[in-house]
Amino acid sequence: MRAIDHYAWTNRWRDWHPVEKGLPAISLLVLTLILPPLTTAPLVLAGAMLTTVYGAGIPWRTLVSVLAAPLMFLLAGIPFLAISVDFASGFDLALSPEGLQLALVTALRALAAMSCLAFLILTTPLTDGVLLLRRIGIPAGVIELILLIYRLIFVFSERALTGRQAQAARLGYSRLDRSVRSLGLLGGNLFQRALEQARRLEIGLMARGYTGELRVLPPQWKPSWTRLVAGMMGVGLVGLASGWLARSLS
Amino acid sequence: MHITEGFLPPLHAVAWTAASLPFVFFSVYRVNRLMREKPEIKLLLAASGAFAFVISALKLPSVTGSCSHATGTGLGAILFGPSVMALLGTIVLAFQTLLLAHGGVTTLGANVFSMAIAGPWVAYAVLRSAKGLKAPLAAGVFLAAMLGDLATYLVTAGQLALAFPDPASGIVGSFLKFAGVFAPTQLPLAVVEGLLTVVIVNFLREYSGDELQNLRFLPKPLVSEARP
Repeated sequence: MRAIDHYAWTNRWRDWHPVEKGLPAISLLVLTLILPPLTTAPLVLAGAMLTTVYGAGIPWRTLVSVLAAPLMFLLAGIPFLAISVDFASGFDLALSPEGLQLALVTALRALAAMSCLAFLILTTPLTDGVLLLRRIGIPAGVIELILLIYRLIFVFSERALTGRQAQAARLGYSRLDRSVRSLGLLGGNLFQRALEQARRLEIGLMARGYTGELRVLPPQWKPSWTRLVAGMMGVGLVGLASGWLARSLS
Repeated sequence: MHITEGFLPPLHAVAWTAASLPFVFFSVYRVNRLMREKPEIKLLLAASGAFAFVISALKLPSVTGSCSHATGTGLGAILFGPSVMALLGTIVLAFQTLLLAHGGVTTLGANVFSMAIAGPWVAYAVLRSAKGLKAPLAAGVFLAAMLGDLATYLVTAGQLALAFPDPASGIVGSFLKFAGVFAPTQLPLAVVEGLLTVVIVNFLREYSGDELQNLRFLPKPLVSEARP
């Protein structure tokens, strides 16, 4: 979590308008989903990864660790797309070519889609995107709620880690039953302190004339059409190349 | 159990998003009204949302060795009620996607449906009926959290089954396949989560009963009512 947030705030493209990064990333994601994955996915994967590393200056290691986040899920789920089960005559397992094809296609599509997501989350701080939600009609109050949650997540996770360390030092996680108890106490404690924090925030804000609106200075972006058009052209190029590849292979 | 980015075919991703939207919109409307009536609720909800995120990021002690995380859906439904939980859960799931790369943008709708809608409603219904049957609070909380967790897992297996029906045995076979492959991690996880929620709720009743009284997101606070 720290790594993703860290690079989102410090990468080379940090100061770009979020739409300049978000629109190409989402368009590429949509292309990945609707075009045939066998030809599109490798191109998308290469394009998104190269842009992330050489464009935004994210280290390979970080990018690979983000791409590997869903690995457990894929490892568990993908083999079962290839294998088919038949209950008609007892319990039959069969490996079919169509199943293998489906598994390959799904794995490729998931990986390519993940690379688009990785580009987006590693280059754009979460708050930048949230500020755009107002444009699509999310109430201002809910946006403030989201930004507050973002802020508090880091406060609480530090507390959770400290508490966990203290418990572990006292052998709180040495057995399964102790672990459940320790974690429960940690959770209860965290919630109690979360409520306390909320009350302190409330008192502090009330003292400053809080009436239900938190006024903050929004960041000043200089939108650049050149960058947006260049990004979209890159996406178009990937789409055209994959179409050409599909035709020449078939 | 998050469905990863790009795993669902486009049609399914869109359909699940459409299925979740009404619940989330209703929740936005309700939370927005709550916050207008009482501005301080915003801070309480923010603290609760951040808490839900952190608790779901904590690694659970697991029997099978694979690392697994709590979902917090049961606890959320017990403390705040399912209609508030739809929005809080959606925010938490979006944050998990954007900060931890768990889940995805296109699969957010499907994940919201299983974790922020189905799970909390089941947990809430179980807790309600346990209260109706005069079961001890701990039993009700345990069952609510455990069955809420199981509901989440079964709905996810169902979503995967609908998207990838088995060529030989169809959707049913596919459902059994996916439910089976995730069962070794999800079944113990549900029990652990149930126990964990009981410990948390007991702790809260013992040490912060007053705060629980103030958590009036529910028409009738389910937990604080039964204080000794």
